[in-house]
Amino acid sequence: MIPVTLDPSRDEESQANMRAVKRSRIRERIKDLSVWVIAVLFFLPELWIFLSAFKTPQQILAVPPRWIFRPTLQGLTAMAKEGAFWTYVFNSFFITFTAVFVAVGISFLAAYGLSRFRFRGGDFLMFVLLSIRMVPGSASILPLFLMYTALGWTNTYAGIIAFDVMFSIPFAIWILKGYLDGVSQRFDEAAQVDGFSRWRTMFRIILPQILPGIVAAVIFNMIFVWNESLFNAILGGNTVQTIPVALQSGLNTINGINWQYIASLSFVYTVPLMATIYFFQKYLLVGMTFGTVRGEI
Amino acid sequence: MNNDGGQRLRFMRQGLSLKAFAWILIIPVLAFFTIWNVVPFLWLLGLSFYRYYPTFGQPPKFLGLGNYISLMNDPNVWERIGTTFIFMVSAVGIETGLGLVLGFVFWSRRALWGRRLALTLLFSPMVLAPVAAGTFFRLIYDPLYGVVPYYIHAFFGVPKPNLLGNSHTAMLAVLATDVWMWTPFMTMMTIAALGAVPKAVLEAASVDRLKFWQRVRYVMWPYGKFILLLGVILRTIDAFKTYGLIAAMTAGGPGNATDVLSITLYREGFVSFDMGKGSALALFTLFIAVAFTSVYLYFLKNREREAIS
Repeated sequence: MIPVTLDPSRDEESQANMRAVKRSRIRERIKDLSVWVIAVLFFLPELWIFLSAFKTPQQILAVPPRWIFRPTLQGLTAMAKEGAFWTYVFNSFFITFTAVFVAVGISFLAAYGLSRFRFRGGDFLMFVLLSIRMVPGSASILPLFLMYTALGWTNTYAGIIAFDVMFSIPFAIWILKGYLDGVSQRFDEAAQVDGFSRWRTMFRIILPQILPGIVAAVIFNMIFVWNESLFNAILGGNTVQTIPVALQSGLNTINGINWQYIASLSFVYTVPLMATIYFFQKYLLVGMTFGTVRGEI
Repeated sequence: MNNDGGQRLRFMRQGLSLKAFAWILIIPVLAFFTIWNVVPFLWLLGLSFYRYYPTFGQPPKFLGLGNYISLMNDPNVWERIGTTFIFMVSAVGIETGLGLVLGFVFWSRRALWGRRLALTLLFSPMVLAPVAAGTFFRLIYDPLYGVVPYYIHAFFGVPKPNLLGNSHTAMLAVLATDVWMWTPFMTMMTIAALGAVPKAVLEAASVDRLKFWQRVRYVMWPYGKFILLLGVILRTIDAFKTYGLIAAMTAGGPGNATDVLSITLYREGFVSFDMGKGSALALFTLFIAVAFTSVYLYFLKNREREAIS
């Protein structure tokens, strides 16, 4: 038997090591915590609005500001009892979904055409489409307003949805063409050799390969249309008003601003947006850069 | 492209020529594009040569280049352009600087606990409608009940400032809101730019014990510059067309302290109803936007050429 003895000096060394590990682990925790603090700081203004949605009007306007209070659903229930609120919610969802699905559908066709065939002026069309999105809304709204009034399209669902379709097309085409260019034409050729028709090739063979692009186009156009307020305010009217427009017009009342209402409406408006970027975070980068940068963050 | 003989034959057999098929694909988009962009654009171009106030009930009067000349001679217009550029340059500058710092911080903590939620909170401002963000800050900056004036009063002992109502602070208050909204975007672009640096190269740099600045200059910059500059360009274009944020917060006031071009345009068209002058100014703005787009595309093309060579 060999006697087993512990080397006391080694034990000390390992203890020192453990302490160092522990210390560095604490340092890591502190770093993690400070990163979280930064994230929460950016969320703070929204948090303040969210908190206000659960306050009484007196608590919202309280001086000094109240961070801790007994939450009330008074604001939200009062808002839910109003018919107008449900109109805004319905309009926001209905207009967003319809416009984006139509836009992404026809943009997929066009992007496929532009990616697979050479059109005279195809590049120029891509350039103009991009430019459209870079022009300030208030510069392009004037003639649209005159056109809509002349044709009687103002304050109609068809009018506003058609506008939002055009509003979504540039981004959808740019992102989908980027993805389509990345799919080799050999897939098209092989499918045709196998006797697939043009349409079947497009929908059965190519479409499944660019699903991430479709998701990004749908999600981000939804965010853009959900947020669109200038055109809805000018070309629309009471019937087709969406939540952001209602928010803005809530600021321009003569009888003093009803902050409880604004905060409650903001809460309802912001939650779907935050849920979207939580669940679709990997598309955020491609969505915010017009499809030019892909990858996760 | 695809129009080799064999394929064309197959399509003729299917009864649809390749050309017809290609056109069917893009016609829906072309139709939308024509009705909602080409027609309004021509309308805008035409209007810019007329004097036209729809509210007065008088027929439009042809002015030729009159609207353009009066725009060129209008000192107010040049002042608005100045305001727009001041806003644009300061916003993009601050956001890029802050975004770089935060980008490095977030990039270095990739194993952060609850990273997805943290990033959701950080990125939440940039998906808000500018109008909504402006609305939030109307409450936060409110001179009587707002949080920010209260804490300024509490910490600095000055009377509660009316941030949006004072022509000296309005621009700063609007800028601060824009920085809050868009710094996350530059943070995201920095994280993405750093993510574009190959891991092996980074490890080699740390084995070589390069200093931080050397690492940034020789290791990260060559790989990350494209995404970062792209972010700056996109942000510049977006800052140039800022409308909703300012419309909700100050509507260009007080006086004309925050009167950027997009706000002026809106006022010419829908407050003064001066359609002719409004159109001329809109075309001018359009021209600047197209110039920005060209820069953006030129940058992308260059990148492609670089990648090929």
